[in-house]
Amino acid sequence: MESQKCKGARDLLPDDMERFRQVEDAFRNSCLNWGYREIRTPTLEYIHLFTAAGTLTPAMLGRVYSFLDWDGWGGERVVLRPDGTIPAARLYSENLSGQKIARLYYITNVFAFEETGRENREKWQCGVELLGDCDRAADAEVIALALEIAGSMGLSQPELKLSHAGILKALIGELRLDGDSKAALLDDILEGNWQAFASVKSKNREVVNAIATLIKLKGKSSGFLANLKTMPAVSADVRNEIDRFSEVTALLDTMGISYSIDFTSIRGFEYYTGLCFKVTSGGARICSGGRYDNLIGLVGGKDIPACGFAFYLDTITAMVKPWSQQKAEKTVAVKTTGKSASVVKTAFEAAAAMRKVGLIAELDFRGSQLEARWSVTVNVRPAGFTIVDKYKNTRMRVATVGEVINMIGGFSKLGR
Amino acid sequence: MAGSVAVDTRLALPKGKMLARTATFLNSIGLGFDHYTSGTRIYRMKARSMPGLTAKMLNERDIPVQVAVGNYDFGICSSDWLQELQARYPASHVIKIADLGYDIAGIYLACSASSDISAQVMANSTSAWRIVTEYPALAEAAAYKMRLKRYRIFPCWGSTEAYPPENADFSVLRVRDDYTLRSLNLRPVRRICDSNACIIANSNNLQNSDFSCLLERFASSTTMKDKPWQVQEKVAVLNNDLAGGSRAGNVWLALADGHQQEHTATFMEKTGIQLKGYSKDDLRRRPSCNFNWLSIKVIRPQDMPQQVANGNFDLAITGRDWLLDHLYQFPSSPVTELVNLGFGWVRIVAVVSEDVPVNSTSALRSLIAGGKMVPLRIATEYVNIADKYLRDKHIARYRVIPTWGATEVYLPEDADMLIENTETGQTLSRHKLKIIDTLFESTACLIGNRHSLEARGKKARIENLVRIFREAVSKK
Repeated sequence: MESQKCKGARDLLPDDMERFRQVEDAFRNSCLNWGYREIRTPTLEYIHLFTAAGTLTPAMLGRVYSFLDWDGWGGERVVLRPDGTIPAARLYSENLSGQKIARLYYITNVFAFEETGRENREKWQCGVELLGDCDRAADAEVIALALEIAGSMGLSQPELKLSHAGILKALIGELRLDGDSKAALLDDILEGNWQAFASVKSKNREVVNAIATLIKLKGKSSGFLANLKTMPAVSADVRNEIDRFSEVTALLDTMGISYSIDFTSIRGFEYYTGLCFKVTSGGARICSGGRYDNLIGLVGGKDIPACGFAFYLDTITAMVKPWSQQKAEKTVAVKTTGKSASVVKTAFEAAAAMRKVGLIAELDFRGSQLEARWSVTVNVRPAGFTIVDKYKNTRMRVATVGEVINMIGGFSKLGR
Repeated sequence: MAGSVAVDTRLALPKGKMLARTATFLNSIGLGFDHYTSGTRIYRMKARSMPGLTAKMLNERDIPVQVAVGNYDFGICSSDWLQELQARYPASHVIKIADLGYDIAGIYLACSASSDISAQVMANSTSAWRIVTEYPALAEAAAYKMRLKRYRIFPCWGSTEAYPPENADFSVLRVRDDYTLRSLNLRPVRRICDSNACIIANSNNLQNSDFSCLLERFASSTTMKDKPWQVQEKVAVLNNDLAGGSRAGNVWLALADGHQQEHTATFMEKTGIQLKGYSKDDLRRRPSCNFNWLSIKVIRPQDMPQQVANGNFDLAITGRDWLLDHLYQFPSSPVTELVNLGFGWVRIVAVVSEDVPVNSTSALRSLIAGGKMVPLRIATEYVNIADKYLRDKHIARYRVIPTWGATEVYLPEDADMLIENTETGQTLSRHKLKIIDTLFESTACLIGNRHSLEARGKKARIENLVRIFREAVSKK
């Protein structure tokens, strides 16, 4: 049968959804424990929200799903949300800017065209925004939270990589390029093409060389930054930015959070102003974030410092083990001998009692093979229940539902 | 004797302004087509000296799309239309084979010569710039590149040089050079890309069939000493001088250029409004008139409903077909028909090839339900009318192919159905087509913006004009 599904769209099957929820739950639990509150923004936004912020690169804007709404004769297009942070910044500036500090999180889909149709054009993100705090402790907070979440998602050995948009922007500023060449260079770098530096036509060769060095070097401590600062071609502006970066890395050193510094580790940092970071697991990027102190102002609010991150659910769900293996443990197939109304009623009542104690009770009147450790059959003569434990290969008969539950044991303390 | 090419090699050739030099080019490389001349009514042609090579004549804007979807192996068109397509659909299966070096021009982002806006000002401002253009994808890409914070792009059918400064801030348009731009009273802000006539090819077909004989012919042109097709021709432009009388608070009326100009001018004479610069011999973008509170501009009738809706114009004389196409796209638009002017009568019809064994849309639906012509391909200039019609008729799967004219040539190879206007039906039957449904009848009408009708200072003036127009209609 020819697929009727849109190119680049994805069906999430029960197994996918279990993994999806598992990751989402880990994320949500940590956020709630750290005092973050959930928000949800609309799927449609005006495109000028994204162009005004200057926050998406031309290449990213060239892939958005935009169209004229049914009342769009005025020519202003709407867009399927291509990013999670900018709408969150808009929501904050329109509704919550009275709060001194706002800790927000969201789970959202974002849309971007992808040519081959082999990758998803609709992707999911879990994001966190900490608004109103410019302290280095805020940077450390979001990093620590991101690492905790990565750990609780059950991902193997999450690694933290740091970079700094302020330093990169200060360096690019020193190339003293004209408007168009500067924009072109930024576009290249934002798309991850660091080679663009090599071909840049700047009179300031020393800066070009300094950048080339920076890009090659990777460091693992604040000492690395101290070394960079004292390199000959580094100007006062760049030094200031390095100082800001060092403040954060020094705190991370003290907190015992390990990281590596890699200036090329970030992509699409256009709205970032300071620290940028990404978390990888098994080489795959699972999270990225940073500080974006200008964004709220750019989307029409007051100048409010902010930082945050987003986890990439599509990448992560492919890496975690599905929950169904744990699920079978506490699933009970409830069967009957015969199909009389009274025996079906007893089966319903028994299933309800089991669900109350946290078991998954699935009615099975057709005798299909469910993925369940337990099976409980309602007998008519003599009245009672037969319990089968598939794992231990045991069978026994009891008289009441209470005894069934005692035999299997409640699972309420396990949660979902 | 020339070699032959892969069986059924198809070439799309441009109508209109490019035709003469394209014909010269083809004749020079020994690829002449008998009926490829200005004013021809024959749109399907066979190459005189290359068996298996056929050509069809299309609107040049449609050529890159038709080559990209594989309906044609090769096409000749202006490279700006290729770039427009690629800006919107980077993955399309179309590539440029060679530049031909005629119809040289540039695509400019331009503002009125009277305006002092710079690229810097544009990028830093948060005002929603109004950009009118026939090249919405190139305009959008330029806006992204220039990091414009806020802008509105109005895709137009043409005449976009007329809009700045009163009815738009910028036009993205094709002109030969800076000099021509200045003669249109415009000033370049940015040159977006260069353009000239070029040969394009479908990249899939190029990989899978042997076209070497044809490509050799194309290549032979590069070594010729004489290139008669590259002689520059003078292009006439319409007077675009700023009129003296466009004061704030004036009522803006849009009048048609092109085919509808003469009919509209005849009608305007009956109204008693004395126009200067709206006759065939003296056509200007801004005709003057004897009411100092009325400003007039001459633009494409297709563009009028949206321009009235967004308040750039208060009133316009256009066809009901274009009004409905607009209203189907924007159902709550403030544009409304004020006076039926009666002239310019056409029927909007659904058309199929004579070979299709149906005489109604319901019979066509049964045919489609039986698995024939799925998806149904509809070529039309009226994208929104066609879309609504097919939705309402419950046609299960269809594709609307937007075209820019000469739609009848698409059947039967490149489309299965047309939604088209016709007066007598003669053109349709000459192309062996038949009408299976009439959607509605259309005449010219005066349209207006409901908000303008309520605006203080404009209300009385508009009511006065509506009265004048009604009286003119009742005159025999």
